[in-house]
Amino acid sequence: MLATQMALESEWVQAETVQASEFPELAEQYGVSGVPHTSINFGAGEMIGAAPEAMLVDEIRRALANEQK
Amino acid sequence: MAKMLNQGIEQQVRQVLNEMVEPVEILLFTSASENCEYCEQTRELLEEIVPLSAKLSLQVHDISAAAELAEQYHVDKTPGIVLAGRQGSQTIDYGIRIAGIPAGHEFTSLIHSLVLVSRRASGLSEATRGYLKTLQKPLHLQVFVTPT
Repeated sequence: MLATQMALESEWVQAETVQASEFPELAEQYGVSGVPHTSINFGAGEMIGAAPEAMLVDEIRRALANEQK
Repeated sequence: MAKMLNQGIEQQVRQVLNEMVEPVEILLFTSASENCEYCEQTRELLEEIVPLSAKLSLQVHDISAAAELAEQYHVDKTPGIVLAGRQGSQTIDYGIRIAGIPAGHEFTSLIHSLVLVSRRASGLSEATRGYLKTLQKPLHLQVFVTPT
């Protein structure tokens, strides 16, 4: 839901909920084992499990900063 | 053809959807090929949900026949669902997508997302909203889930 909320909030954000069982190759590509598994910018970052809002924001921050390098 | 939602669930969904504020448009992209195991069921499910609120509408498109539209909405998987706002004749894309049938826990998420989109407000904290305002390029969040 957090990802959905962020997409609603910002024009820059797209949130896609993906059924891992229906798209197994994609899930494997991102190393999904436990769900929910949130992949940020196609693997630039990730969050495993249902994270609280501030924690997800922190991981997004880190992922985007890593992308700059 | 047996319905997917029993009367009890239908009632509950109707009640939650009563909280909807602005109209929401659901776009479903399906593919006719055998590759899409759950396309038909997803379509049936959405066709049962939409009548439960006057503020919901549904468009169903074939991803090949409506390739340009699918590209416009960046939908590349089927069943592919877009949850958008409807304003008069305009569709407002918030970048909210679901790939795969919204079953089990994701069914509940879908219903809540419909209400969320209808509010046109994220409900996020001021801190998060402040952070999102600093974004200057796309942020793509893919949340992998399972139906159980």
